[in-house]
Amino acid sequence: MMRLIKLLHKWLSVIVALQLLIWLGSGLFFNLMDHSKASGNANRVNMSQSIDIDHARLLAPSTILRALELSQQTLTQKKTTVQRRVNSLKLIQLLNQPYYLLNHKRGLYAHFYNEHSLIDAYTGEPQIIDDVMAQALAQATYSGNGKVARVIKKLAPIEDMLKEENTVWQVNFTDEANTSIYIDASSGRLVGHSNEDKRFADFFFKLHFMDYGVMGKVGSFNNGLIIFFSLITLLLSLTGAVWVVELLSKGRYKR
Amino acid sequence: MSWHRSSRRFHKWLMLFVGLQFVIWSITGAYMVMLNIDYIHGDSLVKQQSVSLTSADVNYELHQLYRDYPKAEMIELVLLLDRAVYRFSENKQNYLLSADTGKLLSPISEDYAAAVAINLYKKPEANISHISLISDNPPFELNGRHLPAWRIDFDDFASPSFYINSHTGKLVTKRHTFWRLFDWMFSFHVMDYVEEDPSNKLLLIFAVLSLMASIFGVVLTYFRVFSSQSKKKNKRRINSSVNRRVNDATN
Repeated sequence: MMRLIKLLHKWLSVIVALQLLIWLGSGLFFNLMDHSKASGNANRVNMSQSIDIDHARLLAPSTILRALELSQQTLTQKKTTVQRRVNSLKLIQLLNQPYYLLNHKRGLYAHFYNEHSLIDAYTGEPQIIDDVMAQALAQATYSGNGKVARVIKKLAPIEDMLKEENTVWQVNFTDEANTSIYIDASSGRLVGHSNEDKRFADFFFKLHFMDYGVMGKVGSFNNGLIIFFSLITLLLSLTGAVWVVELLSKGRYKR
Repeated sequence: MSWHRSSRRFHKWLMLFVGLQFVIWSITGAYMVMLNIDYIHGDSLVKQQSVSLTSADVNYELHQLYRDYPKAEMIELVLLLDRAVYRFSENKQNYLLSADTGKLLSPISEDYAAAVAINLYKKPEANISHISLISDNPPFELNGRHLPAWRIDFDDFASPSFYINSHTGKLVTKRHTFWRLFDWMFSFHVMDYVEEDPSNKLLLIFAVLSLMASIFGVVLTYFRVFSSQSKKKNKRRINSSVNRRVNDATN
């Protein structure tokens, strides 16, 4: 039996040696790294909501809902059905303007797939988030000294924001840290900030999670590759542990 | 001493000290990667809401809300128990109102909380085993900012719990055995059994020693598997077993 244990220990090491060193090395990195730097939020501030909303000018939510219902009826009559149910209506402020944020499809979390639309709360006009508005929204959360270089629309999966499933605007800045700010394209929600420090840490996470998009979608540690390697490593550790116990019992740990 | 001999010595002794943690890393790591994280988070326990808002649901209008609560902010019109409600905050306090009558619903009663939980639970037959209101000293799994909250425990596989905030009626978080186990596994993985913080000194010591032990292990792998010496040794071992079988056959 011990022969099998030792044989397994020796030959399994061949399979996982490299990945084991990667796990230990990246693990050590996580232990030593500055977590606040790794968050990518070095140049992030909260959007200030300073404007008092003029309550008298606000359109009532029921008015908004009724308008939607009427437009839905005409669309159905014209046989072009765009079934847009409304799950919720929220009064928010974007760039000191009040809007109603409507949810038409609800994901369990904000970063899961959601469908939103924006309606100007004073006029009832629909508002689309274009690159200009996205840039302004991003700028409002930015405390660095860079200028906006490029604004690009990005579909999931997004390299800097792996959990995010929604389409976003990526607003890129010219600062030293290459800050990128992500804005949800349908709701204007700030998805998050990223920069070179976060990307550096993300690289180590990719290594630790074997998140290469092999045998599974990118953006998670539940993939076939890591499951295979973790089970082999488990066998390697267990055979090693048995070997240690055997050496102890044979008195081989005397100086 | 040869590198082969000293590697064996260092690998043997270092693993005496960190070997157990290697096994723990392997077991906890395997658990965390094998169970899908969305399952761990209990996402499959929550039912998708199917009812939609209509203008007929709203009879208590926004201007009435502002009249009754002049400093209301973050106002949201949403469905709760398939009925339209307003959620908002005023002076850092959260409120829940019926959008039909304007009646104040918060803080919600035990029956209301139970109904919300059952309505959100994936299975139509849901039995509640225990329900309690948590106003302070939250369990470690519940973030203090969600207080006060109702905790609803379901009598079902893996003991799921829903936490419903008593002022907003929102499902603020959920837990079940596999998530609780996951947190336990993670704390053993990063060697912080209290705060689950990976930046601790104990982990640093073990990571460095383990790295050293593994490097010596890799050196051993070279000597035992790949070097010309080991190849000769393997041949001798195979020959000796053949000799043994020949001897047995001829006896």
